[in-house]
Amino acid sequence: LCLAALAGGTASCSKSFLDVDPQGQLPAEGFFETPEQAIEATNSIYGNLRSWPLVAFAHLAVTTLTSDDAEKGSVAGDASFLNDYDNFTFTSSQGILNDYWLGQYQGINLCNQVLANVPGISMDAALKNRLLAEAKFLRAHHYFNLVRAFGGVPLVLRPVTSSSTPDEINPLRNTREEVYAQIVTDLTEAGAVLPVSYPASDLGRATKGAALGLLAKVKLYQKQWAEVLALSDQVIGLGYSLAPDYEKMFRIAGENGPESIFEIQAQTIPGNCDASNSQWAEVQGARPQFGWGFFNPTADLENAYEPGDKRKDATILFRGETTAEGDKIDATAPNPRYNQKAYVPSSVDRACGYGKDQNIRLLRLGEVLLINAEAANELGQTTKALTAVNRVRARAGLAPLTTTDQAALRQAIWKERRLELAMENGDRFFDLVRQGRAGTVLRAQGKQFVDGKNEVFPIPQQQITITGGKLTQNPGY
Amino acid sequence: HPFSQQYLEQPVTLQAQDETMQAVLTTIENQTKVRFQYSRQLIGAGRRVSIQAENQPLGQVLHRLFDPLRIAYEPLPSGIVLKPAAKPAADITVSGRVLDEKGSPLPGVNVVVKGTSIGTQTDADGRYTLAAPEGATLVFSFVGYTAQEVAIAGRTSIDVSFAPNQAQLNEVVVVGYGTQQKRDVTGSIASVKGDVLVNQASQNPVSSLQGKVAGVQITNNGQPGASPQIRIRGTGSIQGSANPLYVVDGTFVDDISFINQEDIASIEILKDASSAAIYGVRAANGVVLVTTKRGKAGAPRINYNGFGGVQRVTNKVDMVDAAEYATLINERTGTQTLATNLPSTDWFDQITRTAAIHNHQLSLSGGSEKISYSLSGSYLKQQGIVKNNDYERITARLQTDFSPTDHIKVGYSAIFQNFRSTDVPADVLFYQAFVAPPVLPVFKANGNYGDAADFPLGNFANPSATLARYNQKSNGQQLVGNIYASLNFLNAFTFRTSLGLNYGIAQYRNYQAKDSLTTTQFAQRSLLTASNGKNNRWLWENTLTYDKTIADDHRLTFLLGVSSQRDQSNQTIGSVNDVPYFSESSLYLGLGTATTARIQTNADKFTFASYFGRLNYAFRDRYLLTATLRRDGSSKFSPDKRFGTFPSVGVGWVVSEEVFLKDGVFDQLKLRASWGRLGNNNIPSSISILTVSNSPGYTAIFGGSPFPGRNVNALEARVLDWETTTETDAGIDVGFLDNRLTATLDFYNRRVNKAIFDIPIPGTGGLADPRTRGNYASLRNRGVELTVGWNNQTTERFSYTTGFNVTYNQNRVLDLQAIGADFPSGNLPVGGVQTTITRVGLPLGSFLGYVVDGIFQTEDEVNNSPQAGSGAAPGSFRYRDLNNDGVIDANDRQIIGNPNPRFTYGVNLGFRYASFDVALDVQGVAGVEIYNATKGVRYGNENYTQDFYDNRWRGPGTSNSYPSAAIGGSDLNANTWYVEKGDYIRLRNVQLGYTLAKSFASTLRVQGIRFYANAQNPLTLFKYKGFTPEVGQLRGSSGNTSQGIDLNVYPLSATYNLGVNVTF
Repeated sequence: LCLAALAGGTASCSKSFLDVDPQGQLPAEGFFETPEQAIEATNSIYGNLRSWPLVAFAHLAVTTLTSDDAEKGSVAGDASFLNDYDNFTFTSSQGILNDYWLGQYQGINLCNQVLANVPGISMDAALKNRLLAEAKFLRAHHYFNLVRAFGGVPLVLRPVTSSSTPDEINPLRNTREEVYAQIVTDLTEAGAVLPVSYPASDLGRATKGAALGLLAKVKLYQKQWAEVLALSDQVIGLGYSLAPDYEKMFRIAGENGPESIFEIQAQTIPGNCDASNSQWAEVQGARPQFGWGFFNPTADLENAYEPGDKRKDATILFRGETTAEGDKIDATAPNPRYNQKAYVPSSVDRACGYGKDQNIRLLRLGEVLLINAEAANELGQTTKALTAVNRVRARAGLAPLTTTDQAALRQAIWKERRLELAMENGDRFFDLVRQGRAGTVLRAQGKQFVDGKNEVFPIPQQQITITGGKLTQNPGY
Repeated sequence: HPFSQQYLEQPVTLQAQDETMQAVLTTIENQTKVRFQYSRQLIGAGRRVSIQAENQPLGQVLHRLFDPLRIAYEPLPSGIVLKPAAKPAADITVSGRVLDEKGSPLPGVNVVVKGTSIGTQTDADGRYTLAAPEGATLVFSFVGYTAQEVAIAGRTSIDVSFAPNQAQLNEVVVVGYGTQQKRDVTGSIASVKGDVLVNQASQNPVSSLQGKVAGVQITNNGQPGASPQIRIRGTGSIQGSANPLYVVDGTFVDDISFINQEDIASIEILKDASSAAIYGVRAANGVVLVTTKRGKAGAPRINYNGFGGVQRVTNKVDMVDAAEYATLINERTGTQTLATNLPSTDWFDQITRTAAIHNHQLSLSGGSEKISYSLSGSYLKQQGIVKNNDYERITARLQTDFSPTDHIKVGYSAIFQNFRSTDVPADVLFYQAFVAPPVLPVFKANGNYGDAADFPLGNFANPSATLARYNQKSNGQQLVGNIYASLNFLNAFTFRTSLGLNYGIAQYRNYQAKDSLTTTQFAQRSLLTASNGKNNRWLWENTLTYDKTIADDHRLTFLLGVSSQRDQSNQTIGSVNDVPYFSESSLYLGLGTATTARIQTNADKFTFASYFGRLNYAFRDRYLLTATLRRDGSSKFSPDKRFGTFPSVGVGWVVSEEVFLKDGVFDQLKLRASWGRLGNNNIPSSISILTVSNSPGYTAIFGGSPFPGRNVNALEARVLDWETTTETDAGIDVGFLDNRLTATLDFYNRRVNKAIFDIPIPGTGGLADPRTRGNYASLRNRGVELTVGWNNQTTERFSYTTGFNVTYNQNRVLDLQAIGADFPSGNLPVGGVQTTITRVGLPLGSFLGYVVDGIFQTEDEVNNSPQAGSGAAPGSFRYRDLNNDGVIDANDRQIIGNPNPRFTYGVNLGFRYASFDVALDVQGVAGVEIYNATKGVRYGNENYTQDFYDNRWRGPGTSNSYPSAAIGGSDLNANTWYVEKGDYIRLRNVQLGYTLAKSFASTLRVQGIRFYANAQNPLTLFKYKGFTPEVGQLRGSSGNTSQGIDLNVYPLSATYNLGVNVTF
């Protein structure tokens, strides 16, 4: 027997005795071989969208708190480091920036794993192509978040492995244009493959509308107006319709509704709270009844609504109000306003914590109409622009816009965009930068925005250190 | 007179009864060739004497014959001259008692009047009585001890204490796979006897070693039940575990906290490579050999030892009260956020208590020539200093050695432990108590728990509510055993086979009841979690030893061995919602809602196969050689890198045995030098194999249902090889003044090559943990160890011993292959602040940060400084612009501290006066810095310390060293204000004992009773402002680059015990 041989110490036996597989873990070597594994790997990208840096402090601080829509909230002194984003006093070593960076690239790696490995799996070609298209859409989503926040970033399109070259492991920054070009490629390829809709059991996966809609938005940032118009027209024609009730659209029952194009799916999963990990609603929920009370709508936002705009009450949860669902917000709550789009009624399951069921609306028809309107106006197609923007206004209970002056209409569409999407998915700051008026608008709110510097965030110092300075810092930081 | 001496050795046979001396002398002359010359008158040759002797040497016979008659004799070539003894001294009766170093009576000690054959032996009680001339000198001798000479000087009572000087020199120390006489050891081995440990109040044998051994740094963790961190000769690994290998009676274990200290016979610490190399790839961080007690031939010996006592919190950090807290919060927020007249809660007082401890042990040992046995059982009940925390332990130990023939020996030892505990989340609780606002009441007026939501402060848990709702019970059993058989053949050969087992089971269940205590402490559904874990290790070793002494000059021991080991462990954790609570009996997973059930498993397995050999050679006890070679194979590495070879050699020269030094000032002088190579494979199993992540966060939701997500989010670790440590050691052992003064000095240089190191990978790789592990660094620990001991040999009722040890260690990183030149680490949980840097030429994990030049007093000062626009405000730190470029950035940081202690030392004192004995241990650390992150890691309105309140900046001119109450945010950047001296000196242990008089004990039908009182950690002196200067690894970090960063808020505790030890 082997034991006897061991006592004598013969080498051949010790060789097999020393072969021990990792216990309780799947070796990567056997992964990416079956269709189920291709699906599971693609699923991981969707699941990862709920992770803390992608939905909570890092995401909200960088995209929302920096804008004129939001202020820190909660109680004074709590998480006071967030004030650096409200005031533009953050430095490159502020940890949230590193979180934001890592969060996006972690998503990108999951996409890259699918894109690199699924092609080699023998499986149904249509399903394979769809999964690859989903991964491309999601990779584009992450790069879009990166390029808006930092400008040019390293384009990593293949997973890092033990055979990667030093330059692949530690890549240089690509230009903003190169990153945008890759996003466009990924979204174009995804849009060509993804289906318009899914059966109920796959509801929540990326669709053609999602890919083309995001592409339209990406082109908007590049001011390629004709393409923006064509793409948004195409999305509008895919069968979406505006939800009749703006406020109800943001409740659980309104999830994945007729207007919805892409949402981050979140759910309380009894017995697996670790998979019910979205803290988007929790960090913003009215304090202390519904959450931590951060990222509150500002008075400036409150004052921006026209009289009669239904969206004001649907977007801002006022201290002391009673919601349609019957929750009375404490009159003594520490903040006057909370984000009502992150409000999850008390009747919803809290077995895994506050607001774990709240989907995050990333793209919906309302936004695509406004993208369409903005492009049409820039192209001088005023009537078309008015039609699109007025659909949105009508739902808000507002009279139609009538101005035909391009500049005035531009301002009106921008304002409509702010109010329609306020506190929803962190576009406002990037919109202001894109529109070239971030400094003017934000300094008027008392923020120390510096032109030529604060349009982008600093590259995290932690990353610059790790790369031995290969990553270069943005100007002014 | 060599010639005449021969006379005295001639055998004589006499049967004289009442005969004249002259007749007796004639009989002797007839039997021998001796002639006596004497004057009949002068010696009184007519006196009648009686004497019997059978073949006794003449010298003895003459003694017996002449001494009582006070006749002196002088052997000359011509014959033996007899004359009356000059000035006959009067005999007096001297009595007394002989005790050993522990104060126990020593029976069988020879007591002889110097220069005569007059003598006696001590009785079972160590007492003797003999008649001796007033001016004579008594010689006390006993095997294993240095003989003592005491001048009577007219006294009638002389007590003697034997100090273990000579015993130490001839002491046998346990080395790997055998024992060796201490004088033959060429490496650096520290030996601590079990009785030293028993005098400690600590319940952890490792903890009890603190301050006892040079080169061994022990850092206690205040958390109840936690094992201390031990570092032998500095931190020798960066990423792998730097813990030593523990070997208990030949069985490898990871931790020895399961052993009852009283069962330990000795602990040997193999510090240098030549000693440890016999353990090869497992030995890089040193080896701790634990030998448990074994029975000895003799009458059964029954011993009871029991103690009871209390543990109390000491050195608690003062926190502010409600009024002061309100003042600070109002300063922080700039508004009247809180009233300053709210009632105050001291949260540390709320969750801690004076905790009781008692322990009882009963042991029995004995044996005959063929068989010896020992067995013991103990019961420990210990309350934690946190309320609701209870720990109960039963240990049993059984050991037998059996020699059926002269050549065969078999035996076993087995230690069994069973523990049960009611757990508390001490880690969480102390943190909550540290941060909870003092304005938060334990209970509200309506009886509900005080709720932080009632205050405009942020989320804070109510620590009392946390404690009350926590419901967890654990239990576990562990069996560590060893069974062996050895066969001696051809006189010089011994074959030994030994099987070691370590089998353990651990279980816990945690029940989270459905409740709603505060806004943040609630559960909508109950949750039961149950865990079942098992570990199983076997170790089979076979050795062949050749032991031979050739021509008295050459002593040779040769050892060959093979060893194989397998480790396997697994844990299954299940959880389910909605289990109803009726009693403990309802807490089973099956009673929950099946759809909410969840199972997790963790498992590990690894194997070793090894071959080893050792040669010990001594020539004339002067020239010593030890050489070892071990070849180890480990399953943790890839097949082509599986086997490694670990050689070592040690030489020694016992200079004091040389003729030219004999009778010099040295009783002992030994020079030693050794070199060797060791391995460290303390890394996760199968580390080089890339695996798939199953993270629950990867679960996707589609159509409202969860779907599993898995993916690869790591980079294959590039660990090609184990770390190898190459160590050189040079030492000297000296003894003076009859070995009353001994000293050992060692220099060592440990170089770790191919150190396993997690280098950070740029975040662009998207790894879940953006690091990769490989052989990326090398480092060095260099140091000096000095141990000095003094044992007096007074015969007075008073005796004392002292020992002192000190170690200087210097840690350096020699090479580092990170992508960036440096490796930042020590990440604080707020703000992404990194506090340490690992850089070539510096100690591992040195603190890196800004230099605080003062505190900004006014807005103007901020605006005119390089920190304008950085968020700095009056009351913020003003940093020094080190490179004078007008900007404060990462380039203005410098090294601001070293977490690796430069000096560790201990002083051990023992006194005995009559029946009283006292032991004192003092221990300390010097030349070390601590990063006190507790001062600044704040999410918001956490509580403050009194020190902060008293010294804070609160307006221009109030402070130029402490910042304002707004501390946090950008003030958290690593800087000199957070770095404090970590030096401390501690009264580690103090013990007072009283041994009952033997006579009184025997009336109680027992052999001996000793009462004792001891205290552990009664006094710790330090200037550090945290809870304890013993700071290990940063909580939540991995690897050794985040040492000395304090986020711990565990208070230190002291233990006070009263006990009795009875021998039946």
